[in-house]
Amino acid sequence: MKKKCLFFYEEDQGNYVKDLLEVARQMYGENFESYALVINPLDVNVISGFDYLLAVKDQRLKDYDLINITSLMAECQQVYQFDAVIVLATQLGRMLSPRLAMRLHVGLVADITAIKSHPDGTIEMIRPAFEGKLLAGIINDGDGPTMMSVRPGVFLDQQSTAKIPEVLACQLQTIEDTGMRRISQIRKPDSRDIRESRVLVAGGGGVLKDFDQLDQLAQALGGMTAASRRIVDSNKADRTIQVGQSGKTVHPELYIALGIYGALQHVAGLNKVKHLIAVNTNIKAPICSLADIVVEGDAAEFVRKLTTRINENKQAE
Amino acid sequence: MKIICLVKFTPDVDQFQYDYEKNILIRENVKLVINPDDACALGFALGLKKKTPEVVIEAVTMGPLNVTAMMADILRRKVDLATILSDRQYVGSDTYATSRIIGKYLETADYDVILTGSHSRDGDTAQIPGQLAEYLKLNQISQIRKIDQPSMLNKRALVEVDSEKYLETYEIPLPAILSVGRESNYRLPFVRYDDLDLDVSDRLRIIDNDSLAVDSKKIGLKGSPTKVIKSYPIDYQKKEQVIVKNDDQGIDMVMAFLEKEGYL
Ligand SMILES: Cc1cc2nc3c(=O)[nH]c(=O)nc-3n(C[C@H](O)[C@H](O)[C@H](O)COP(=O)(O)OP(=O)(O)OC[C@H]3O[C@@H](n4cnc5c(N)ncnc54)[C@H](O)[C@@H]3O)c2cc1C
Ligand SMILES: Nc1ncnc2c1ncn2[C@@H]1O[C@H](COP(=O)(O)O)[C@@H](O)[C@H]1O
Repeated sequence: MKKKCLFFYEEDQGNYVKDLLEVARQMYGENFESYALVINPLDVNVISGFDYLLAVKDQRLKDYDLINITSLMAECQQVYQFDAVIVLATQLGRMLSPRLAMRLHVGLVADITAIKSHPDGTIEMIRPAFEGKLLAGIINDGDGPTMMSVRPGVFLDQQSTAKIPEVLACQLQTIEDTGMRRISQIRKPDSRDIRESRVLVAGGGGVLKDFDQLDQLAQALGGMTAASRRIVDSNKADRTIQVGQSGKTVHPELYIALGIYGALQHVAGLNKVKHLIAVNTNIKAPICSLADIVVEGDAAEFVRKLTTRINENKQAE
Repeated sequence: MKIICLVKFTPDVDQFQYDYEKNILIRENVKLVINPDDACALGFALGLKKKTPEVVIEAVTMGPLNVTAMMADILRRKVDLATILSDRQYVGSDTYATSRIIGKYLETADYDVILTGSHSRDGDTAQIPGQLAEYLKLNQISQIRKIDQPSMLNKRALVEVDSEKYLETYEIPLPAILSVGRESNYRLPFVRYDDLDLDVSDRLRIIDNDSLAVDSKKIGLKGSPTKVIKSYPIDYQKKEQVIVKNDDQGIDMVMAFLEKEGYL
């Protein structure tokens, strides 16, 4: 019998949700059926790639109403008996998944970076642990579906089929009044996303004092700056440009790692980077083993020198 | 008004040092510190109490007893009551078991609101607040960057949330679980000089499982549905690399590479 996988679909994250199909493929090969659950969709016709669509239309159900959404998903679980529930780790997904896991009395593994399926059917979820020195393989022991959350961009949908899902009726039996209200919602000014940049100039602990200077190099290369958590934790940069397990997963063509050690949690955010240049005073730092070129020395000094050279070059042309 | 603040103590990751020769983490003397998000939540509660003295604050943590000194330090910052949930049987609990233990305590506790951090620095699962909210059947919201003080006292909290794309304001009836993010910039006040050695032992309680009585099959390693079955070393795919110095020659090499690969 085919395995059943449930995906929570957020319309403004559609492509990232579709990427999660790859997680199911790595668990079950082609032997699974995918169900996407969407609440009050603006347009179901753009949702593709899944076998079934549980489209819930009920204006009483708000997108932030986690109590009732959890009830709805628990009812769906009753009906369909999913083998796996896979949630994208967005702001909403991160609040929803623990609630649902508790409701279903199952374990939940956050931010998996890889997955393995054993011959006996055990699903092993893998994530960085132990201060970034090791990866931990985790199983869900007990009844109920295997549940996990996955950060956007960690898995990439390799097949991206345009399959039109069959729409299934789905309705929450009773809606509870939670008393919660959204009073306002303001879209933040669209800033560029480091996930979309071809070149990233990233800084870590080794450029703590000089992080501001990275911008010049990024500009000279037409790229963006990114940061390790060390920089973000020191309030030198906004969380939106953090690369890594608790930041973003990026796949630029060129990643320049300046004074970054290369802890697993940081490297977990690098997916299919084509070229990497590492600048570090210590060439034994793990990031260096990922690099095409390792520059041994002070990263801030390197930034100044390289920026000057690039700009001189441009002027000469 | 009674506020419960959940606090977790985590290793100060910034203090970790690597032994680059042996490639190991030096863990000795690494201090435990209050998780940054939790410090913000506690900072907000103390700010409210400063303006409205009838606010009572209880800090609750689950963890080993070596956090006692840090809980005492929190009491010296004008928190009223500190509770440590600690039992050998709790060791190895995953987030599901942890939420059930903390939830069992909170079920019997008296509160108008529960404040937590959005996520912790070590586990960083951000799962505990949501799991607890489900256990206690409360509304919960994460990544709060501002809580309106008067609204708290009116039992309908107005909170500002920063999800990556939007800035949002919600009204949430209390009791609820409000999870504060570090971007809120609420600060934990310092201990007043006079209070540095204040005896706070009468306001600090340690509760073990004899009194909390969570089903022993539901706690610790064996009560945790998620189990680590294996660990893997990091498999860095080594590239054929060129090592250069940070001198003119090195910069020449880098320039040539950038040129060749079309980045200039
Ligand atoms: C649950 C969890 C999630 C995490 N998520 C993330 C995440 O998303 N992203 C992330 O980045 N981290 C994350 N971390 C933290 C991670 O484990 C590391 O602590 C962090 O990445 C270290 O940052 P760093 O390499 O910039 O700094 P450091 O570890 O301080 O390393 C600094 C590096 O710079 C070099 N250096 C020093 N001086 C110079 C100089 N003058 N010039 C050149 N090089 C120099 C040093 O040799 C060293 O290699 C997470 C940790 C945990 C526990
Ligand atoms: N052992 C614990 N004791 C008390 N509070 C905790 C504990 N673990 C997590 N929390 C709370 O839950 C929040 C999120 O933690 P986590 O789910 O571990 O990322 C923290 O900021 C704390 O407020």
